[in-house]
Amino acid sequence: MAREFQHLSKSTPRIDALERVTGQARYAEDVTLPGMLYARVLRSPHPHARVKSIDTSAAEALPGVRAIIHSGNTKNTWSGGDMQGRRKVFSEVVRFVGEPVACVAAVDRHIAEDALQLIRVEYEQLPAAFSIDDAMKPDATPIHPGGNLEQKPMGYEIGDVEEGLKQADVRSEQTFRTKHVNNAQLERRVSLANWDGGRVTIWASTQGIYNCQKDMATDLGLPLSKVRIICEYMGGGFGNKNQAYDFDMMAALLSKQTRRPVRVEFNRHEDFIAVHGRWPTLQHYRIGAKKDGTITAMHLKGYSGMGAYLRSSGDLASVEIYNAANVKKEVYRVYTNVSCSANYRAPAFPQAFFALESALDEIAAEIGMDPLEFRLKNLPTTWGEKKQQFSSIALEECIRQGAAAFGWAEKRRQYANQTGDIRHGIGMGLGHFGSGLGPSSATVKIFQDGSVKVFVGVTDVGTGAKTTMGLIAAEALEIPFESVSVVSGDTDVCPYSPGESGSRTTGYTGVAVIQACEKAKQELLDQAAAQLKMKREDLAFSNGAVVAKGEPGKSWKLTEIIGKNVDAIIGEVANTRPAMGNVARVCFAAHFAEVEVNLATGKIRVTRYVAAHDSGIVINKLTGGSQIKGGVVQGMGMALREELIWDRRTGVPVNNYYHGVKPMLHPEVPDIEVLFVEKEDPYGPFGSKALGEVPIVPVVGAIANAVTHATGVRVRELPITPDKILMGLRKA
Amino acid sequence: MKAFIHKNATSVREAVMLLGQHPGKALPIAAGSDLLAEMKDRIETPEVVVNLKTIPGLDKIQKRQDSISIGALVPIIELVESGLLGTNFQVLVEAASVIASPQIRNVGTVGGNLCQRPRCWYYRSDLQCLRKGGKTCFAPMGENRYHAILGAGPSYIVHPSDLAPALISLDAKARIAGGSGDRTIALEQFFVLPTTNVRRENVLRPDEILTEIIIPLPAPGTKSTYWKQMERDAWDFALVSVAAAVRVQDGKVAQARVAMGGVAPVPWRSHEAEAALVGKALDEINIAEAAQQAMKSARPLRDNAYKVDLAKNIIKGALQKLA
Repeated sequence: MAREFQHLSKSTPRIDALERVTGQARYAEDVTLPGMLYARVLRSPHPHARVKSIDTSAAEALPGVRAIIHSGNTKNTWSGGDMQGRRKVFSEVVRFVGEPVACVAAVDRHIAEDALQLIRVEYEQLPAAFSIDDAMKPDATPIHPGGNLEQKPMGYEIGDVEEGLKQADVRSEQTFRTKHVNNAQLERRVSLANWDGGRVTIWASTQGIYNCQKDMATDLGLPLSKVRIICEYMGGGFGNKNQAYDFDMMAALLSKQTRRPVRVEFNRHEDFIAVHGRWPTLQHYRIGAKKDGTITAMHLKGYSGMGAYLRSSGDLASVEIYNAANVKKEVYRVYTNVSCSANYRAPAFPQAFFALESALDEIAAEIGMDPLEFRLKNLPTTWGEKKQQFSSIALEECIRQGAAAFGWAEKRRQYANQTGDIRHGIGMGLGHFGSGLGPSSATVKIFQDGSVKVFVGVTDVGTGAKTTMGLIAAEALEIPFESVSVVSGDTDVCPYSPGESGSRTTGYTGVAVIQACEKAKQELLDQAAAQLKMKREDLAFSNGAVVAKGEPGKSWKLTEIIGKNVDAIIGEVANTRPAMGNVARVCFAAHFAEVEVNLATGKIRVTRYVAAHDSGIVINKLTGGSQIKGGVVQGMGMALREELIWDRRTGVPVNNYYHGVKPMLHPEVPDIEVLFVEKEDPYGPFGSKALGEVPIVPVVGAIANAVTHATGVRVRELPITPDKILMGLRKA
Repeated sequence: MKAFIHKNATSVREAVMLLGQHPGKALPIAAGSDLLAEMKDRIETPEVVVNLKTIPGLDKIQKRQDSISIGALVPIIELVESGLLGTNFQVLVEAASVIASPQIRNVGTVGGNLCQRPRCWYYRSDLQCLRKGGKTCFAPMGENRYHAILGAGPSYIVHPSDLAPALISLDAKARIAGGSGDRTIALEQFFVLPTTNVRRENVLRPDEILTEIIIPLPAPGTKSTYWKQMERDAWDFALVSVAAAVRVQDGKVAQARVAMGGVAPVPWRSHEAEAALVGKALDEINIAEAAQQAMKSARPLRDNAYKVDLAKNIIKGALQKLA
């Protein structure tokens, strides 16, 4: 490591750990206001239907019911609900089981629920398609005008894949399927809205208070200045709390109508179907390689099931990571009559990496090459179709150091010949994620006693962002971490931040904090120079005081500089204006998994896991390491168990609850060894790159490859469950 | 949750009377770990809920001369931790120890475990399925990876209880109290196939409750075990489970009882497997034959053929543990 840090690249407990573990942390659901009403949502039981009429008279007559909104009396668009603006809060045509039809506010939640039972809705049912395959059929009923298959693919082409396939000694052509996986965050949805004159305040569980503010202002037709969003603590989202949601709007509209605070609540079943999960895919790969392991061509033709509306790109990202002369990627979006698909941690990545890494292991096996050597042979030297240089890259070091820590070579030898029911196998997978920089803002106050308050518009979505911002400020100001407080999560108090998604928080807002600290320090030293009639260069800010560089022991309290009647020195940055030039800033990871498979039961157990990461300098190794472990556990669930299932005939979701999708449990997770390869990045705050999204990317491929290594069975459709292993063994 | 009237029963008689006063509209509750979830999801919307936990005396495990008695209100965890069930009832101890999660084992009762409703995801969904009084069982043409391979139709649920197969392998009896009198029946007869009653999993009438389980002391030399295969390591229902109790005498199987969970709408006793074992050595060949026989009449659906292989393999695994 090139630099020594006072606070960074160490393990620091969260700045708010005590509040969180003692239950003092206030989440959206913990906020109750006097006179608050409870609201529940009536959802469509049909996957595709026209709402012909809604009769709310019986529900309105129920004592305790205060207001009912539905498509007959509420026409607001929900702009976050569809990237093409086709979605209303209550649609006249419902397009999936669970789409909102009405919302009732009542004096308690049970009355609101009872009222839902009394609303009479007349539907005209329409034909529906639930799978990617069915929705693409020529005779499928279009879910939106223009048909279910978007004609223009996302993607690019480098070289000529047909030519590349001709040059290959070995060719592989395979089809993979991945499923809709819900984010399954612990905190259920609630939204509390309250009007105060012409201003609305919303307590939301959001990953971006400013995204939420903008969406709400747009959809309610209010100036930004009249919308306040508060999210002090939030209990996970992993991408499905990025924007404002239809239920935020329902809360706001009902609150306005009833002149009471209104909280919309979801139960766990609704949480699984009414927001979104990861997009399912159908992926065809054609890959060619030389006998020496050089990949000559990669062609991915993929289809992403977006559900009933377009809420994210639907792209697939994986082939970029390998260096091949001929690459073609074409990804088509498909609409289906099921819950929406959109962002879930590294939205376009783990499903694509599962398929690519599986296909590459098959090629390596055919050539007779160790999968690790095969990957080392094809590492990227430049990035993407623009052939950009990297700002920094330590992918090869991740692979080599990870493999050494894991014991890759010994285990390959050890498991070469096995007998009996219990089999072991190892697999690896690579991953990457963008590490962009963009505008953000921050305010830093250096108080007269030397303590510091940092104001940032971030929400700590579980990543430890508040702690990260505090550490960056402490490092930039060269002060003890204990003297820093961080204020976040309120648009009336904190300056803009871009929203906690896309691995942006540390990169975007971290730079803003550094700049704001520099500005505050500059201002202080300018004032000190004037006050003390000294040269600015001879002064420094150290441990909460101004010191003379040349005279050890000589220092001035801040009150001596700014006066007793001034509260603080303030450094503010409204726009960081980052500039990166033509380089690719990408974070990388190499993961290694060992599994044990019981051939008699199909049971798969992950027994060892090493995750090696290139995220530049790591601001906080404690929360950084936790993020990686969390991503690995989510990836294990995606690989081995989780999928949201809709009945193929009715389109009704059948397992939309925790026990239905069965996320991993603690006893099932092995010790996960995290290895940071800290190569300083010249652009990121204090040499850091992104970290939050990438940990889930390599996991599914690594585990899939380990299962095949153990059993000889290649499962090309996620999740890799015992039934698929047992049926695969029948064929073997 | 729909509002309901909660009544504490102070005796078995009172419980039965309260249930009888509101036929079809009252349900008994013990720990409620299943019923409350059903009520929240409006699968059940009783007007009256009769609390059995206030009845004294039903939460005891009592050893008798030639049997053991387990009250219906005994918490599941007591089967494991009381120490009252020794190796004679090994299969029951093992089954109890892998039910759900520690929290649920602490509150959930033996009676509740035996009377719990199916976990079929159609039954638990908003669809009006056959078991909820609708016209269709959605499983055979739908998503059926967890459904029945034996004894199914017109409903394809699997019975979710772990205690039931274990108790049936021990030849347990069920004591039932009701408005028109009490009765004691073999636990195996307590459960009913959908061809008998497509709405219920057992013989209990609306004004009847399960009060006690009686297990005869197994003949000396009997060994028993429970194998539960789950997708998760814990907190999961069985994909397939096997309870086996075998007595070997003079090198040959003198008595064998094999019951399975997760394969049929009732805890499934495999007379075929038992017949294949009795009179023979408990060796690899005979065990394999018993597993084969157990699955002879299996009729898998599109997505659950794996259960046939899994059942055979864990029957073998369980019996080998007893060999």
